[in-house]
Amino acid sequence: MKITVAVSGINTIDNPGPGAGICRALKESGMEIRAIGLAYDALEPGIYLDHIIDKSYIMPYPSGSKEAFIERIRDIHEKENLDVIISALDAELPIYMDIEPVLVEMGIKMLIPTKEMFRLRDKLKLKELSEKIGVKAPEYISCTSLSDLHKATEKLGFPCMVKGPFYEAFKATSPGEAEGYFIKIAAAWGYPIIAQKFIQGDEYDVIGCGDGKGNDMGVFAIRKMTITKLGKVWNAVSIRNERLIEATKKVVSGLKWRGGFEFEVLMENKTQDIYVLEINPRFPAWVYFPAGCGINLPARMVKLLTGQEFETHSDYKSGKLMIRYTNELVKDISDFEQISTYGESGEVKK
Amino acid sequence: MMDRDKLSVLAISDSGFIFDPVTGHSYTANATGLKILELLKAGKEEDEIKSAIMDEFEASDDEVTVDIQDFVENLKKYFLV
Repeated sequence: MKITVAVSGINTIDNPGPGAGICRALKESGMEIRAIGLAYDALEPGIYLDHIIDKSYIMPYPSGSKEAFIERIRDIHEKENLDVIISALDAELPIYMDIEPVLVEMGIKMLIPTKEMFRLRDKLKLKELSEKIGVKAPEYISCTSLSDLHKATEKLGFPCMVKGPFYEAFKATSPGEAEGYFIKIAAAWGYPIIAQKFIQGDEYDVIGCGDGKGNDMGVFAIRKMTITKLGKVWNAVSIRNERLIEATKKVVSGLKWRGGFEFEVLMENKTQDIYVLEINPRFPAWVYFPAGCGINLPARMVKLLTGQEFETHSDYKSGKLMIRYTNELVKDISDFEQISTYGESGEVKK
Repeated sequence: MMDRDKLSVLAISDSGFIFDPVTGHSYTANATGLKILELLKAGKEEDEIKSAIMDEFEASDDEVTVDIQDFVENLKKYFLV
């Protein structure tokens, strides 16, 4: 049975989207998958990754008209007969949440969070989230001015973390340093800026998928070994930490999480206590790593959505290493012409 | 006081490479460190460790005592014991 899956986030750039990893995991799942890339720009590298993405289409921006977005999907669906869409970008999740009933009518299935889950995962709702899932959150204060920052750091003390609304976090050891980071982050990412209590520990990530009924479909934990300037994982090692796995399962059962997610936590060195930092409401860019270790979450998601049996175990080995690398492709300008002129790539010649 | 439970989960290779599967941290120990770690993991007491190290590395009592204390302090620093 051939299954056609459309996947977004195929921007495998220096701040990589998860789409290419999702497609690779699906292609290696043993299912007969036709992978369709949904791109927002003609130069998203996934469009040109013929070995894992069969065809790509340009989408209208999710911030635009809902009708135009639906019409584009309808148009792609007429050509491709889509079975599943896996949304892999935070920015487009709200529109998919809105239009999911329309997609269901069209015969397209998705496993995405509800609006309430999406609201709770906001960095500024960390306290509320922490109470819901029973996992500690570091004390934090949201700031929209330097005066707010001063008050916050007086309360939190130094060192403290100064974090952006989307990306970047710095450890500040003095009021002057905190002010500098505040201005730098605000200029790059806007407000609010979050001042957060510093906890001596390491950051860990767990990927998982929830069926929306409180059951987890498998989880996989890593320690970030190196990160990019934006805090994205570059190299990682798989770990087996039962407290972390337990905390992740609380996310799934406590929120009845629906869809893929990345649970970002900090583990205090001294006490090994776990603090929730963030939940990303979709698969992370390193989604292929667990798939390569036997926890193929995109495949499990597709199997659930298409009524097939799927595994739910989280049996994997610790000490597996993920090395991310950069690479170059040589393509023809006609490939760029095709996608930029017609809004869709040419069919891959097998 | 040492919490030796944490040592039981460590993956220690003959090369001195140590991997903690719970935290994902890795370390490298020299031959002496590796020997101390193996003996600690085997539940040996400090005196037993000291005499084993003195036998194997032909070092004085004072040197070995300081080395062991030093090494155990490092293990504590890294929350391994």
